[in-house]
Amino acid sequence: MSMLLQLIAIAAVGIGTFFSVIGVLGFLRLPDVFARLHATGKVNVFGVVLLLIATMARAQLEWGVSLILICFLMITGPVTAHAIGSAAKRLGLPMKRAVRDDLARDLNSPK
Amino acid sequence: METVLNVVLCTSLACHIVMMDIAIWRVWRGENAIDRLIGVDLLGTLTAAVLILVALISQRGIYISVAIGLAVLSFVGTIALAKCLTDKKMF
Repeated sequence: MSMLLQLIAIAAVGIGTFFSVIGVLGFLRLPDVFARLHATGKVNVFGVVLLLIATMARAQLEWGVSLILICFLMITGPVTAHAIGSAAKRLGLPMKRAVRDDLARDLNSPK
Repeated sequence: METVLNVVLCTSLACHIVMMDIAIWRVWRGENAIDRLIGVDLLGTLTAAVLILVALISQRGIYISVAIGLAVLSFVGTIALAKCLTDKKMF
């Protein structure tokens, strides 16, 4: 049982670090503010939550605080991303290589 | 198995510290204000991840409570800065 929990902890830490590295690489390489925002959302939702699952698998640490932090991150991550995306859209930042812009069409169309 | 877990944890801690350096560099040399704001948000998230890794390595649960406080403050700060950048006023 302890062996299984340690295997779960090792797998969770490895996969979480992989998702964080992918998110930060996307934050460096993607061409656009909105695409970068999409990449950093992966760090918030997958990276930290998998690390917290690893802490829940460890018997020495209490798991209630980790569960509270998982719920908080699951709620606040999309809210933060939506607030930043709304700010970028309202500031009029350009979208590179965009196929179509439905929001601008809806805002410019007469009622 | 315990040594394997410790090696994985220390490697992950080194990766997260390098990623924090990248985020600080993007805050310093960002293209525009929203890009820097995304960098600040990412920096808060990675700092919480580093605190959780320290809690895993030292096996003390107090660092997870510190990560909760940091997550709350980072959330409020990011929302307030995004609203301040859009509306040009705070309230």
